[in-house]
Amino acid sequence: MAKIELIDIKKQYGDTKIVKGVTFTVEDGEFAVVVGPSGCGKSTLLRMIAGLEDITSGELRIDGKVANQVSPDKRGIAMVFQSYALYPHLTVAENIGFALTLKKHDKAEVAQRVKEAAKMLQLEDLLQRKPAELSGGQRQRVAIGRAIVKRPKVILFDEPLSNLDAKLRVQMRAELQRLHKEFGSTIVYVTHDQVEAMTMAEKIVVLNQGHISQLGKPMDLYQQPQNTFVAEFIGIPKMNLLDGEIQKNETNMFVCSNGLRIPLAANYQWTGKGIKLGIRPEHIDLADNDQWQYDVKIIERLGIETYLHLQRGKEDVIVVRLEGDHDLDIDKVSLHFPSELCRLFNEEGQVLLPNVI
Amino acid sequence: MSIASNAITTNGTSQKMTKSQFKTYLTLILISLYCMVPFIWVVLASVDPKASQFLKIPESVSMDHYWNLFANQSGLRWILNSIVINVSATIIALVFAGFGGYAISRTKAWWKLPLLYAIILVRIVPPPALIVPVYKVMLTLNDWVNALINAVFTDVATQQTMSRAFSFVDGYLGLILILAAMQLPLAIWIMKTFFDAIPIDYEESAAIDGATQWQTVRKVLIPLAMPGFAAAGLFAFINAWGDFLMPLMFTSSPELQTLPLGLFRAFLRVDAIDYGFLTALAVIYTLPAVIAFSFARKFLTQTFSGGVKG
Amino acid sequence: MQLTYERRKQLTYRFMMTPALLLMFIFIVFPAFYAFSLSLTNEALLGFAAKESSFVGLSNFERLFADPLFWNSLKVTLLFVIGSAVIGQFLLGFLSAVLLLRPIRFKAMFNAMICLPNAVPEMVVGFLWISMYASGEYGTLNRIVAWFGVDPQQWLYSFPLMAIIIVNTWRGVAFAMILLTSGLSSIPKDIYEAARVDGASDRQIFWRITIPMLMPTIFLYMFVSTVTTFAIFGLVYTLSRGGPANSTEILGIYIYNQSFTAFQLGYGASVAVVSLVVSMLIGVFYVRMFKVEV
Repeated sequence: MAKIELIDIKKQYGDTKIVKGVTFTVEDGEFAVVVGPSGCGKSTLLRMIAGLEDITSGELRIDGKVANQVSPDKRGIAMVFQSYALYPHLTVAENIGFALTLKKHDKAEVAQRVKEAAKMLQLEDLLQRKPAELSGGQRQRVAIGRAIVKRPKVILFDEPLSNLDAKLRVQMRAELQRLHKEFGSTIVYVTHDQVEAMTMAEKIVVLNQGHISQLGKPMDLYQQPQNTFVAEFIGIPKMNLLDGEIQKNETNMFVCSNGLRIPLAANYQWTGKGIKLGIRPEHIDLADNDQWQYDVKIIERLGIETYLHLQRGKEDVIVVRLEGDHDLDIDKVSLHFPSELCRLFNEEGQVLLPNVI
Repeated sequence: MSIASNAITTNGTSQKMTKSQFKTYLTLILISLYCMVPFIWVVLASVDPKASQFLKIPESVSMDHYWNLFANQSGLRWILNSIVINVSATIIALVFAGFGGYAISRTKAWWKLPLLYAIILVRIVPPPALIVPVYKVMLTLNDWVNALINAVFTDVATQQTMSRAFSFVDGYLGLILILAAMQLPLAIWIMKTFFDAIPIDYEESAAIDGATQWQTVRKVLIPLAMPGFAAAGLFAFINAWGDFLMPLMFTSSPELQTLPLGLFRAFLRVDAIDYGFLTALAVIYTLPAVIAFSFARKFLTQTFSGGVKG
Repeated sequence: MQLTYERRKQLTYRFMMTPALLLMFIFIVFPAFYAFSLSLTNEALLGFAAKESSFVGLSNFERLFADPLFWNSLKVTLLFVIGSAVIGQFLLGFLSAVLLLRPIRFKAMFNAMICLPNAVPEMVVGFLWISMYASGEYGTLNRIVAWFGVDPQQWLYSFPLMAIIIVNTWRGVAFAMILLTSGLSSIPKDIYEAARVDGASDRQIFWRITIPMLMPTIFLYMFVSTVTTFAIFGLVYTLSRGGPANSTEILGIYIYNQSFTAFQLGYGASVAVVSLVVSMLIGVFYVRMFKVEV
């Protein structure tokens, strides 16, 4: 098993910088997810770890050894591709055993290992089929089988679930977690879907425009986003961000936004002008008073929860999530923003941390 | 559409044909007649012992003209020459285009776009415009090759055999290479379009699995690109097989004659045209092209639209 | 130093590209440029200039532009391309494509019959049509027109240009049909249905939806068929060799006759230059105009 260290990794094609200095470590046996919008450099990063693309500068260590120049097949890795890359002219068994046959393993041993992998993935009945005869989920499992049969130290996943329908995706998320527990390989998993990152990762690396935006455990990212990018990227529906400013009187600090005035629980070191107030939809409560009334634009009732889309004047829409079903027949509501759940960001989008009192 | 066509096929007899249907069929029949009439003569004359230049119903039918082709020295010779030259040219074009199409599909280097545009332009160079310079190029290459042959082999008989095989003018090699070169632009396009459709994931997966370059080509790329090779090969073969200009320019000895040129020259001998022999030969010459075309048909649109998309 | 995977791949690509480029360079690209330099000489196969050719500047072109036979050839080529590729093949191909998309019987049979001429080698095309056009009352075409009360004609002498246009049209209907069929069937059905819902008539649908949506395919067809027709040689050569009296002497044949019948290579090359320039202009126009995706 292996630990992967990336130290100031950069990638550049001509003058275009794709990855602009990325440093992080994936511990031995850890499930790390690199997540970000398309074009953020996450796939390039993965392909550099695989050795499919050169590293322009920086150092990549696998198991403590510098691996920048090591050819892909000597890195002890396996990779599951977005298109699965199953060879259409080979059967499932031949696909899974492909890497082993290349290395001229003993036939009986190949068969044995293919069988083990197939058993683990419940593919035993399909071994003689061709990929074209399989469903999307089955193909996905064959692709994983082809990776684990090599008993790699590291498995790399490149958006493996993006070709599956929503229901299968939920199933495969659980499946991947089970396999990770059984198998214990280090996993680097790339996706644009923050739900996959939140549900599976032990460590999330949020990548934006070639930089790491934030790095950490899923719940840390959710609760303590370090910038507006992460705040909006993680969580559905996304965090509400309101423009505002901070006001002080003798005893208290307030955050004010379009007439809204929320007393703050803590002190903030802050100079500058504008500010963004971030609050998650589920953290906003309806208030009984008629201060700060909002027009109700849309109500979405899902049974288990209800979303209100609210607006006041020309301000951005605020989304509020209410627990359970609410058959509301109202066109105005007042809101209460619990100040301890508000996050403040400066104009550059960086989080403002409260001074410890 | 299927409902409508069912209605016609099931009740075709009971339903009266509408006026518009009548027009549709009439137009299609006229176009088809235009397309088919010229073939009637060649087919009938080839089985008519008294074949002539004019269309007539044979009094008796015999396959003698066809048997004569294989008994007749020159007929068989032309057929064999055509097969050897065109199959070799097709194979060379296919191998080179396979490599080239793959490289140009996969590379991200600066030369990708310029080269693609250059290939479009090379593809539309009209061959007749090249005859003079190509003739001079071939003469020069011919001199070099023959000098080499004469330097290497001392025996005159060997020199002659080698010269026949490797000469650029009035020899096999020259004709094969120039026919292959003429098919390359289109063949590269076709291969490039097919490789574009094969995700690079396949090769990268193989690379991570530790496949060597050669293993990747043999076990992964060739099987995946088979339809592309089929399409490129069929078009290269059809075009080379039907080409008339290159054999006209670069063959003169009777033993080197291929089908188009042999047919043409035999046809020019106004005094003694053996129509039965020529029509049978024309049918034999046409068949491979028709068979290849029937397989290539389904690739036709994707080939051209793949090459130059609107 | 050990090569990384990416570096090794880049080198492999260049290596793989080489043989094809070499072959195309020797037999197409170099000769094309060589044509330019030859056109500036008095290179010939016979006579004084055959021994030692010399640079003559633009005099070949001066002669060319004053040569009525060259202008005739250019005119014949233009009429041939417009008559067969732009009008004949296109109209019949379009008609066949539209009709064959209707729910009719014997579709495969009609299709095969229309496609057959396209597969025939040039030389055989000439051979077949010489019999069609044969003069005297037993000639096939003469027998056909006799039904309509027309007297036997010497087709290749009385209507030579029309005759080769009809032959090339015959050969190319299938290509137009195949290309336009794929263009027509790639127009989404929804659009027709939406137009019906909006109350468009058949005629309106044809002119306002089918034709505009088919435009890219039509341009592609026009481009490919123009450049291929422009490059035709064998078909006309086997039928008429450019005659009678230069009436079917398209550019390709004019080049051949000047170079290998009159043995004036330099002059032939100057005609070739004109033909190269024209086809390159068409190519560049098409690529620029329609932003060809590569």
